[in-house]
Amino acid sequence: MPKFESNPYRPELATIQDIIQETSNILTFRVVLNDEKKMREFSFQPGQVGQLSVFGVGESTFVINSPPTRKDYLQFSVMRTGEVTQRLHQLNIGDQIGVRAPLGNGFSVDALKAHDILFIAGGIGMAPLRTLLLYMLDNREDYGDILVIYGARSPEDLCYTYEFDEWRSGGVKLVLTVDREFPDWKERVGFVPTVLTEEAPSSYNCKAVTCGPPIMIKFVLIGLKRLDFEDHQIITTLEKRMKCGIGICGRCNIGTKYVCVDGPVFSYEELRQMVPEL
Amino acid sequence: MANISWFGLGINKKKLLMEDKTKTLQSEFLKVFEKLEVVLGWEPGYDSLHATPSFIRQAKDLNKLVWNPLCSQNLCTYLVKTLNASVRKDDKKIGICVKGCDSRSLVALIQEKFVTRETFFIVGIPCEGTVDWRRLMRFEPSLKDVQKVHIQGNELEVETAQKAYRFPLQQVLEQRCLHCRYPNPIIYDCLIGEPITPRAGDDQAYGDIEKIEQYSLPDRLKFWEKELDRCIRCYACRNACPLCVCRDSCIAETRTPKWLSQRCDLKEKFFYHMIHAIHLAGRCTECGECERVCPVEIPVTLIKKKLNQIVKDLLDYEAGIDPQKQPPLMTFDPSEKGI
Amino acid sequence: MSEKIFIAQGELTVMLERLSKEMDVWVPVEMGDEKWGVRFLPYHRDNVVVLERQSTISPKNVLFPQVETLLRFRYQKDDKDPSKQRIDLKDRQDVSSALVFGARPCDVRGFHTFDQVFLNGRYKDPYYAQRREKTLFATLLCNTEDSACFCSSVGSGPGDREGSDLWIVPVDDGYVIEALNDKGRKLIHVMGKQATTEQIEKAQRIQEQVTAKRIGEYDLTQSARDFTDRFEDMDYWRDMVSKCISCGICTFVCPTCYCFNITDESRDLEGERIRSWDSCMFYHYTLEASGHNPRPEKFERYRNRVGHKFSYFHDKYNGMISCCGCGRCIRSCPVSIDIRRIVHQLKEKVDAEI
Repeated sequence: MPKFESNPYRPELATIQDIIQETSNILTFRVVLNDEKKMREFSFQPGQVGQLSVFGVGESTFVINSPPTRKDYLQFSVMRTGEVTQRLHQLNIGDQIGVRAPLGNGFSVDALKAHDILFIAGGIGMAPLRTLLLYMLDNREDYGDILVIYGARSPEDLCYTYEFDEWRSGGVKLVLTVDREFPDWKERVGFVPTVLTEEAPSSYNCKAVTCGPPIMIKFVLIGLKRLDFEDHQIITTLEKRMKCGIGICGRCNIGTKYVCVDGPVFSYEELRQMVPEL
Repeated sequence: MANISWFGLGINKKKLLMEDKTKTLQSEFLKVFEKLEVVLGWEPGYDSLHATPSFIRQAKDLNKLVWNPLCSQNLCTYLVKTLNASVRKDDKKIGICVKGCDSRSLVALIQEKFVTRETFFIVGIPCEGTVDWRRLMRFEPSLKDVQKVHIQGNELEVETAQKAYRFPLQQVLEQRCLHCRYPNPIIYDCLIGEPITPRAGDDQAYGDIEKIEQYSLPDRLKFWEKELDRCIRCYACRNACPLCVCRDSCIAETRTPKWLSQRCDLKEKFFYHMIHAIHLAGRCTECGECERVCPVEIPVTLIKKKLNQIVKDLLDYEAGIDPQKQPPLMTFDPSEKGI
Repeated sequence: MSEKIFIAQGELTVMLERLSKEMDVWVPVEMGDEKWGVRFLPYHRDNVVVLERQSTISPKNVLFPQVETLLRFRYQKDDKDPSKQRIDLKDRQDVSSALVFGARPCDVRGFHTFDQVFLNGRYKDPYYAQRREKTLFATLLCNTEDSACFCSSVGSGPGDREGSDLWIVPVDDGYVIEALNDKGRKLIHVMGKQATTEQIEKAQRIQEQVTAKRIGEYDLTQSARDFTDRFEDMDYWRDMVSKCISCGICTFVCPTCYCFNITDESRDLEGERIRSWDSCMFYHYTLEASGHNPRPEKFERYRNRVGHKFSYFHDKYNGMISCCGCGRCIRSCPVSIDIRRIVHQLKEKVDAEI
């Protein structure tokens, strides 16, 4: 993992190249570092995060949403929730932001090789999973069957709808679901954990990667356990209030682990060993 | 130097009275304990010069409670913020010990309808003053191995393992006690001990303000700049205040909207303290906790007292005296004099 | 040539004044007239230097100021293309050499914790590193412990010289100062005259006397497992922490507490990204933008504080305790919460079960 030269608090300046309106409160930003050399040499693992700065307002953590195999830009999906995200949503193409990346650990892409992969995502939780999914599609032979269960409150709340065909043609079984019936909605209806139980994927040689609202994760875990998934077969990525992002300011700890350096990706096995303070 | 003078009859009797008060306090709560959810009192602290608040949830623990001149904390600060006393789940009451100043805070909370009188079983203790540990150490820095502390007349008697000391009360009590007009609890279900004559009359209430007001305005500014410069924005003064109930939504810390920056300039510190004082204008009961808890010894009570003085002049009102009185800053009455 | 000098009590301020012309000399001074507290400030002849008791707030602000500017930024028009924006970003800071004179072993021990986190982690904090390199510590041997002190309980002691560059032993009419390393040796010759054999022997005797003392009743260095075993005992934490008022005093006066916030403070088109002391005792500390808070109750926050100092740090850094036993949190706590008792009693239940 590349280390910062001298000041890990100093962001790289970047320009917003593209903005995609995913849903009513989620925007996807495609940014390019101003320093061309750094942009070319930028390398990261799927699952690693970046701190985006809006100078004058603050910084917030987002997963690097694009895979390391597609490096024309760095992509971040941002849900409007607080001070920084509010201001980010007001920015335009060409505006300058700061990027401190890559931070944290990523998914262990090597350990996942030769396994069947089960992605379970809810709402904005698809963001970290997308980067891993696209990485796997770009290295398709290394991975077995891929099943994606992706749910949201309504069809309007699904992200990356423009990519679903690409995923399907890349050899992914994609199961989409929304919480209730909607006119013109032809796919599944039901909460993500319910759909998981209905699909009943086999846990044999399978790794499950999940991300979404805490309540969904809770029931997904129960569902996976019922399908005989063991702790080490379940991987998730956590969210926490972060400031420094480099394991110094102290706030994102769960027991001895800092979510910003030891995470945000953790297996359920690791989570079980940490103090119960999610 | 003999310690024989300690064992004159007058002094012995006073010592016993203090120990009696402790026993009476414990037994009063024990009598009604089954009707109580919790009892708030004080127990001995980390050494013999400190007491610490005690939350008693089992009758057998009542014997931890004490009463002595070290019981400085105003327990009313826990009522809204920790015990959520505004919300009652059952008929059980909250038992609480109050000194005179503490009882004013409780009355003010009742006036503002945060809590009701019926929620509490109040043991009131007429108070001769509480010791400011820092003033005591300043007086006698070598004080060690303290075993007993009590008030006798206008002196504080301190016994250590090595010797016995007597200090003039005026030099070792908390600042708030020096101007105390309400040593006797205003509301109570039972009173432990005889009422005490107040140390200060109404005309002496704002003696400490008047002292500062003798400075010229530029000198007054210099005084406050020097004091507030030490502030570390720990918010202890805010959290210790029984009337400060915004809890986690204080404007000192919110970022949306942002009122105060995280900087530690004098400007920010002034801003914080002035806002805090204004939010307490006409509500502050002068319990002095804000000043007592300040780790850098800023006389913050003065600012609030000044605003109280203005409210008293304009609206003839003091908080925490009459539970039935509607606080004037919480209502609009066109017939009010002073507008 | 021996690196021990003697300076008389009456000459101390003259020496400090002289040194302060070449570097920032931080000394413990009175908070003000008729006040008991002591804090560290740069030497100034109007301030009264107090060496007889521990400071109220630790000197951690010398290496870790309460507010420190990390970045300065300014939005500007791009002259080549006015429709575009440019950001001017600066992060350099000027740091002068400093000497902390009159801190105690417990204060210096706090910086051991800081070093692990700010210098020895995956990322190095350049702001702290720069100050650390330019600062010397002339530490005072401590023989003024009080009922709140417990440095021996956490593996240190009143005669602990580790981490200091110069060591000061008060003798009858002055101080014997010894250089402990190269940094100290560079400075010592301007601090006083060569100490006599008698003075050196006196200092040695005092050192032995003080080092033999045990400050603090318990041994709190082995509490990591007791803590995790008792993590979910809500009754215990509620009992111990009900009286906490959730202010930030304990964390702000503490020599080992290092948590900070990072905020942008700006006006119009320019501003600064600053870091400022934060406290794990505040509700906002872990409050997420979604509204979720992993530690909404104060007893959960206090539990994290105890865990961090006596368990998590111990596990991450080879048994090191992130507490120096100075007792400031106990002394300054508005409600006299005693962390020694809380840590010591962690094992009660465990013993009871056995």
